[in-house]
Order: sequence, then C-alpha cells, then structure tokens
Amino acid sequence: MAYFKDEQEVYRYIGQLFLDLMEDDELMPKFRRANTIVQYAFRDPDSTITVRMRQDAEPQVDLGPTDLAPEVVMSMTADTAHRFWLGKVNVTVALARGQMKAKGPVAKILKLVPLVKPVFPRYRTQLEAAGRGDLVEAS
Amino acid sequence: MEAGAVGDAWTGPQLAGFKDFYQFVAPTRVIAGRGLIESIGFEFAKEGARRVLVVTDETIRATGLIDRVQAGFPGDVDVDVAGIFDAVPQDSDGATVVACASAALECGANALLAVGGGSVMDTAKTAIVIFTHGGQPRDWEGYFGLPREADGMGQAIALAPLACIPTTAGTGSEASFAAVIKDREAHIKFAVADFAMYPRLAVLDPEATRTLPPAIAAATGMDAMTHAIEGHVSSEWNPHASAYALQALRLIRDNLESAVTDPDDEDARGNMLLAANLAIAPTSSSAIGIAHSLSHPCGAHYDVPHGIANAIHLPWVIEFNAGGGDPIADRYRDINQILGLQSGGSAVEVGHTLAEHVRSTVRTLGLPTRLSEVGVPEDGIPWLVEGAEGDGCTLVNPRETTAEDFAELYRQAL
Repeated sequence: MAYFKDEQEVYRYIGQLFLDLMEDDELMPKFRRANTIVQYAFRDPDSTITVRMRQDAEPQVDLGPTDLAPEVVMSMTADTAHRFWLGKVNVTVALARGQMKAKGPVAKILKLVPLVKPVFPRYRTQLEAAGRGDLVEAS
Repeated sequence: MEAGAVGDAWTGPQLAGFKDFYQFVAPTRVIAGRGLIESIGFEFAKEGARRVLVVTDETIRATGLIDRVQAGFPGDVDVDVAGIFDAVPQDSDGATVVACASAALECGANALLAVGGGSVMDTAKTAIVIFTHGGQPRDWEGYFGLPREADGMGQAIALAPLACIPTTAGTGSEASFAAVIKDREAHIKFAVADFAMYPRLAVLDPEATRTLPPAIAAATGMDAMTHAIEGHVSSEWNPHASAYALQALRLIRDNLESAVTDPDDEDARGNMLLAANLAIAPTSSSAIGIAHSLSHPCGAHYDVPHGIANAIHLPWVIEFNAGGGDPIADRYRDINQILGLQSGGSAVEVGHTLAEHVRSTVRTLGLPTRLSEVGVPEDGIPWLVEGAEGDGCTLVNPRETTAEDFAELYRQAL
C-alpha cells in the first residue's frame, strides 16, 4: 500500500518541501546554478511537481498541471520520492534498478544530490510537525 | 517498505563487508584470441546479424583492417557486409550518430559492426539506439531510459545486433552499457546508457591493435588502469567488480609497458585488450570515480583525450581519496599489493605510494603529466568544476567531493 493516499497528500508534504526550498536563501542560489527545469513525475498516486531552477528566471514550483517545459524528467513512485527525502535512497542504486528513471541532461540534477542532504531532517521534521510521524515510521 | 527497497536506511559508502545491495551485469559474449577477425561473419551470424553496416573511421580504414574484416564475411556464412560508414571523427558527435543510423537504414542493414576505438564504438552504440527506436541522440540522453515493456518497468526492448572489434585497449566500450557523445554546440559530452546497449559480441584480437601508435596505446592503457583502480575503490565496489578490476590490474602491470614500447609484442597487445575489457566491467555496477568526473569536462571544453586526462588526474584523485580515511585507503592497499608496492603505513602514505607509482608509469609511457601541457588554462577551472560536480561519476566516488575539492584537484593537476 502506498504511503500517500492521493495526489493532494503528495503535494501537501513533498510539494510543500519544494515550496519551502524556494524560500531558502542559502540553498536556492546553489540550486539555480543547475539552470534547468526539472519535473518529478510520480506514480502511485499519479502526481507531478515541476521546479524551475534557472539563473535567468525566478524560482517556481508547480504542483500538478504546469506551463513550464521541463528539460529533465525524473520518474518514480511517490513512495521512492518520500524515501529519498528521508535520506533512505541511494540515487545511483535507484537509477540502476529502475526505481528512478531519468530523461534529459541528468547531470544537471545529479550535482544537486549532495546539496540536498541537509534537507532530509527538515522533511522528517515537517512530517512530524504535521502529525504524520506515521509516514516516517512506515518507511 | 516498497518492493525492491533495501535495508533500513542508506547511510553512505559501504567499503567493506557484505554489501546491502549491488548489481553486476556482463551480458556481452566475448571471444578472444588470434585470427578471429577472419571469422567475424561466422560469429556475428550467431547474434542475428544478416546484413551488416561496418562503422569505423578513415584512419582505421587506411590501415587495411577493414579489408580484412570484409574478408571475414565469406560466401558460406549467411551474413554479408551491406555498407561501410567511415566518417567517425575523434570525439564523435550527435550529427555523426544520426548519419551513421541513416546509413544503416539506407543500405538495408539489420546490424552494426564497430571497428575502432572508443569514439567509433560509442557512435555505433548510440546509432543502434536511433536505428532501433528512432529520434535524435539527445532524446535518449540519460541512464536506463530506453524503452521497456510493462510501461517502462519490464524487460528492455532489444536493440538490433551490435558487435565490436576494439582497435585500442582502453575504453572497454565493447563491453559496457554506456556511450558518450559530444554536443559540439553546447560544449558538453552527454551519456546514453542502458543495459540494452551492451554489444552482443566483442572480438578481442591483437591483430586489431597492430598499427596502434604508441602514444595512443599509452593513453588508452592508462584509461584502462583508471577504470580498474576506480572500479575497485568506488563506493559501488563489489566482489564481482573487484574480481574483474584486480585481474585487469595484474594484466596491466605485466603488459602495458611492453604493449606501448614494443608493437611487435602480440601477447602484450592481446593481454591489454583483455585488461581493458575486464577493467570496464565494474561500471555495470556504477563503480567508477572522480578521475572520470575531472576528465570528462576536459574533453568537452578543451578536447583533451580521455586517456590522457585520466592519466593526469588519477594520482591526485588517489591521494585525495586515500586522505578520506582507512576504509578507503584499505582498498588502495589491495591494489598496492598487486602492483608490488608498499601496502603498509598510514592512509595518506598508502595513497601517496600508489599515486607516485602512477606518476612514474605515466612519465615512463611518455604521456603528459600536467593539464597545462594539454591546453587547459587556469581560468578554465570554474567551468571544469561545474562539469565535474554534475558528472554522474561524482556520486559514486568513495569520498564526498565538494566544488572546492574539485577546484583544488584541478589546480594540483594544472
């Protein structure tokens, strides 16, 4: 059984994490160096988060339908995304096993992976603050 | 826990013991020995080839090797040469890949045979994707993104048959699942990689490297050494990968210098083909490291040949990684033992010993030892760091590497 019951839960937790990151004065300038638009296409439940991290435009996060044209598309189950943000997924292994699929200039996203490690405890704290410690425990 | 997930949490590189997870893949049928080129048709027919486009470059063709390959398709086997595409440049690009795939369609080929070095083989590997699935090379950029059954989660859809006869002993591309192609406008190299891209057949015949210039034999040999060392030390090391990597190092130890200095030493050339073929195997587990991360942008921005870039970067990377502590240094100790070097001492000492051995080897082979010797300017370092940070190999280095670390490594190598 999937961790999230519907797409709104995906947006409430993972989507909110991205929205918060857009406001992070320390991390966002580093993310914008990726100079790309990435779309996270989730399954189970179907949901989409599109993130603009470009140097020539303001950061933007779209939850669901978007007018942004993604350059990189990362596909995975919402469960895998959830476990990633808890620091429980080795991206290299996940790519090799097909748990994550990457299309486009993936290097632009791979270089962000070490940068997001400080975000893992933030996601955990966010879930617990929302009374969803069950999502932390279940994973 | 979702199906396929492993362990409770991923906590970082696991450099010893029974690993939580690894995957090792080696599906290419390898045949090695003497006189194999004359039976290439007989062997390739077993892989489903019927009409073959031979992919090569003008230099290789001028040696007469392609004539011998064509003679390997006699009338008594049910496969023939449909055409020859000899327009592959050094550091092949997307336009060449498209031209190659188009040539295959136009001549009615059902299979490709690459005869050449890394650029030729990677061209053929990407062209076979376009030939089979259509599109443009960058449409397929990325890792494990080729079409699969079951809505992308099932068995990879097979590509048309591909065989490789390597004419250099270094890249090991004849037995890897990745191809690297240059985007000349964007000044980047991009990877197309999936298990379906493993060639079906690799033919390792020292006759194919008989005319290899010593400088290229040296540079490609150092590429093989880099694959082997990084394959054993990577965070994604595993016993299968190390078995291949360490045997490759034994062969390199015993044959590299002879293969470079004595082109008539057929045994040495043949053993270096085996070494390169073995050394690439760890990449099936993503076992590689930041010598490659540092080298890829040098090729993309400044056309530094990959083997030379690796030869320059490797010793600095060994010292950097070994400084990360005993678990990493212990993996270098294994290598030092095989190479007959001092394997005791501190982590820093064991790294320095191996690094000095690599530097000595590079000098003996007559290769450049500094980036400044191969046209890399100091003011290019910021661009190079950007590329190295975003390289897929960076994620699997045993020691985490920051932008500042990359900048320092480039400065050291300059």
